[in-house]
Amino acid sequence: MNNITKIYPLGNTTVPALRGITLSIPEGDFISIIGPSGSGKTTLLNIIGCIDRPSDGTIQVGGREITDLNDNELTDLRLYKIGFIFQTFNLIPVLNTLENVEFPILLMKKHTKKEIAERATQLIEAVGLKDQINHKPAELSGGQRQRVAIARSLVTRPDIILADEPTANLDSETGASILRLMKKMNEEEKTTFIFSTHDPDVMKYAKHIIKIRDGIIAE
Amino acid sequence: MLLILKISWRNIFRHKGKSIVIGVILFLGAVIMTLGNGVITGMDRGLNKHIVENFTGNIILISGDQKNEAVIFNFMAESVEIITDYTKVKDFLKAQPYIKKFMPAAFGAPLVLNEDGGEPDFNYVLGVDFTEYRKMFPDNIEILEGRYPDPDERGMLLTDWNRELNFKYLLGYWITPENEELNKANLIPEAGELGDSLKVKDRMIFMGFNEKNTTLDIQAKVIGIIKFKALNKFLGFFNLIDIESFRECFGYFTAEDSASSIGKEANKILKLDDSDLDNLFGTESMFEKTDIQKNAYDISSLKKETEKTKQIDVDQGSYNQVYIKLTSETPLLEGVKKLNQAVKEANLNVRAITWKKGMGEVADMAMIMKGALFIFVMFIFFVAVIIIMNTLSMAAVERIPEIGMMRAVGARKTFISMMFFCETSLLSFAFGGLGIIVGIIAVQILNAMDMTTTNEMLQLFYGGNAFKPYLGIVDILLAMIQLSIVTVLSTIYPILVTRRITPLDAISRD
Repeated sequence: MNNITKIYPLGNTTVPALRGITLSIPEGDFISIIGPSGSGKTTLLNIIGCIDRPSDGTIQVGGREITDLNDNELTDLRLYKIGFIFQTFNLIPVLNTLENVEFPILLMKKHTKKEIAERATQLIEAVGLKDQINHKPAELSGGQRQRVAIARSLVTRPDIILADEPTANLDSETGASILRLMKKMNEEEKTTFIFSTHDPDVMKYAKHIIKIRDGIIAE
Repeated sequence: MLLILKISWRNIFRHKGKSIVIGVILFLGAVIMTLGNGVITGMDRGLNKHIVENFTGNIILISGDQKNEAVIFNFMAESVEIITDYTKVKDFLKAQPYIKKFMPAAFGAPLVLNEDGGEPDFNYVLGVDFTEYRKMFPDNIEILEGRYPDPDERGMLLTDWNRELNFKYLLGYWITPENEELNKANLIPEAGELGDSLKVKDRMIFMGFNEKNTTLDIQAKVIGIIKFKALNKFLGFFNLIDIESFRECFGYFTAEDSASSIGKEANKILKLDDSDLDNLFGTESMFEKTDIQKNAYDISSLKKETEKTKQIDVDQGSYNQVYIKLTSETPLLEGVKKLNQAVKEANLNVRAITWKKGMGEVADMAMIMKGALFIFVMFIFFVAVIIIMNTLSMAAVERIPEIGMMRAVGARKTFISMMFFCETSLLSFAFGGLGIIVGIIAVQILNAMDMTTTNEMLQLFYGGNAFKPYLGIVDILLAMIQLSIVTVLSTIYPILVTRRITPLDAISRD
């Protein structure tokens, strides 16, 4: 990321969320972005995840400049290169665990049914939800849903996984188990994990920590 | 696609309330649209059957000089231009392969005179050759009293509807066919109430206007009282009269005129120079003896003359319209086009028009009713689209986190659009399909109920005396197309809403 700024219009005025962030994240890293509420960490994650565009500056993902990509190109980039774990899990309510995990890989339309099922099942087992494979999200606890979200984010073998406060809606024990799982996946799948948090307990799992305050990197 | 179907199908059950609302609207819309199509087609079929098959044929041939094309049903009772040289037209029509049958006729609106005094008023009459009329329209009328005229017999067939109207508003006496006893069962209540004081006559006096602005009265004996088997309240305005009487009444060139030889005395007058015309008014020529007077009361000579008239070819006289039935494989407009092209090439001063144009106000009223029904169906269609559109738009807004997440993990806008469209299509297929089936059953039930009416407007609406909605394959396909259009139109806006949902919206909602 080179000199990224993001300014949001607010009535007749503007609010700067990011004010010139330059950052490079190596492959396979496990990074925590920390900072108080409103510091700009979610905005930074959104821009890294190609779900928001910067007001200024350039970004490269895997060596590819993404600032000028159109909607379909950005969507494909997210599908193939980036996985997401949301604070509120955001699973598809009408699909069961297996189907939710299979969902992104099915969108790729380049794997056989068998390959998809094998990959999804393997990840579900890895996140410890073998017995809940046919359960719908409504039948799962918060921690279990977040495990499904982790499995789903990994199913396409993305280069980066972005997690916006993945433990915010979980109790501390479940949150810790989720972080341990993310760490494990980072090690096993060699996937870069970038997650935001303002929980000091979460920070201890990170290899690197980026502290952000008022839209700039503090340290 | 399977994934989209799976998600859509399950979403229908997940959002049961909205699915039921949309489904019920689609169901009702489909029922009404199918029924509406059935009524419109039934009306069209009825009018075609009862007017085309039994009254005018598909096409009416009129004079090339005729301006107002409503040559049958015009409330202003305008006179109709004469078709000149019908014998040529007849030969021409016989040579057209797409014409199945044709018959010449003359429409006019003479004044009906009341021998007992009172204001005269119009009656519509169709001058026809009764034999040809029966061949052209074999099953359109029912003889209530009297009989059908013999070939070449002079006289008229009075409709029961005109008899009733004439009695009430014009004549004040009841008309029965010649040599027939009064049939009390057929009396209208107003006539029946008069009892023995009811005046009964078997003739009508018509006063026709000709082109020279002179009038001629004729007395027509009533041979039969008729009723049109369908649409009698409309077609019953038309009495049938033998063509020769019609021609006499309106000063047309009669067949008898064409068959008469010019007498010696008339020939002498025609040969006079203009300068000698004054001599006609001289006393000398006025009182010149002629053979004509001598033969004036020679009964045997008159009888011979009558026999001669009977042998006349009625087609030698004038008509003002020709009714044409096309072969079944010829579409109406194509038939009109072909015929007009052929008429032009044959250099005939005639023009082909559709029966609808010829029927004037009746066809217009039918078209207005059909149009009103169509607008009603379209209104239902529109309301269905609006309600479904609103419901789906609300559903789209409620599902922002889910849709935004799908977009975040790699679903393109097309996928989301397809998913939404698929959900509505499934509902449309299930509920709309059921609606169409119920509509078809309802049409069958209504058809079997055989609801009849004597109300004029309802008769037009029904396309006949009985309510006979009809659904053919085309109508069912039309209902399916309408349903598909509703589905597509109602999803356009919600799809636009969903396409605007970004992954960022999903996160913002969090």
